[in-house]
Amino acid sequence: MKGYFKQLAFAFIGTIAFACNQDDQSGASKTLQPRLPDSITSQKAEPEPNMFASVDVSPMDMSYFPVDYPKLKMANIKVAPPVARVIYSRPQLARRPLFNGIIKYGEPWRLGANEASEIQFYQPVRIQGKKINPGRYTIYGIPQPETWTIVLNSNVDTWGLKQDTTRDVARFEIPVVTNGASLEYFTMVFEKAENGANLVIAWADVVARLPLEF
Amino acid sequence: MTLKKNILSLTAGLFVSIALLAQAQLPGMDKSPLDVCYYPLRYPNLKVQETVKEPPVARVLYSRPKKEGRPVFGGLVEYGKLWRLGANEATEIEFYRPVTIGGKKIPKGRYTLYAIVQEKDWTFIINRETDVWGTFKYDAAKDLVRVDAPVEQLNEPVEFLAMTFEKSDSGIDLVVAWEQTKVALPIAL
Repeated sequence: MKGYFKQLAFAFIGTIAFACNQDDQSGASKTLQPRLPDSITSQKAEPEPNMFASVDVSPMDMSYFPVDYPKLKMANIKVAPPVARVIYSRPQLARRPLFNGIIKYGEPWRLGANEASEIQFYQPVRIQGKKINPGRYTIYGIPQPETWTIVLNSNVDTWGLKQDTTRDVARFEIPVVTNGASLEYFTMVFEKAENGANLVIAWADVVARLPLEF
Repeated sequence: MTLKKNILSLTAGLFVSIALLAQAQLPGMDKSPLDVCYYPLRYPNLKVQETVKEPPVARVLYSRPKKEGRPVFGGLVEYGKLWRLGANEATEIEFYRPVTIGGKKIPKGRYTLYAIVQEKDWTFIINRETDVWGTFKYDAAKDLVRVDAPVEQLNEPVEFLAMTFEKSDSGIDLVVAWEQTKVALPIAL
């Protein structure tokens, strides 16, 4: 059993090292991790209401490809424009079951929370052989146990609960795998791939990858 | 038997580590979360309720650092220095139609918004270099306009940096509030 704990300890150190690797403009990075609430409704992101704009329980985030593009740009004088970025809100499991709890098989899901998630391509890309023009799109998914349908839609700046399917630009079927991990926050991020990049879509123990070629 | 058990637990431990490490490469939550604000306010909600037909006027994308008991203006944000008006990536403002700021016509498009903070007034800077981190890439040659705006005192402190749009006589104001400070950038439509 000793070996097990040793491994676990190393894993935790690894996790912490990665987690601390974030930029913080203030230098004070010792926020306490709040305890998980019993339900998402009991979660408060902020102790006092903000009279201008309250902080959401499912905070927004964005990911670029190349990964950390704004930081690359900071470090290099000449850097090509980015390929893509995704802007999405990050709900947390908060002890709820993901499937047939938060998400239902066969029903459209906004791949996030609040506003519809947005993907922007700065150059043309190909997805499963289909050419996608540069521009901003809404991205949503229709999960099934073995595959997810990922949809790009031209109806941008909209709330995520209602999709206008007449403005679907393209639909792609991608496999979904379970990896045994448990990711508390919904996550979308790009990773380098052989012919371009993958948009990695992960939550709980489920991971799906949308391949982009460029 | 014990050896077998040890190997088994070691293997199990290894798998857990791999799973955790694989997970660690995915981004954790940022302590200064990103947020968006549209004008008209709550535009995406209005859109699904079909109460708006026309496109939005503007949106601002910014990260929201927290005061956490620290002195913000003149402390965390130094007077007279360029500030990203947020955290992480520099703040981005997008106009969906041409607008006028500080008497200058700004074509529709995405811009980076910076500020130089002083005790009594701020200078807002609209710059065309987008997708940048902090203030490190700032190039004054890419400024479209610089506008000074007076500082107003708030009675109640604001914990997280906040931005919103307010209707004004000439169009809208981008309102920025943090600590006990409120500043408005007038945008004429």
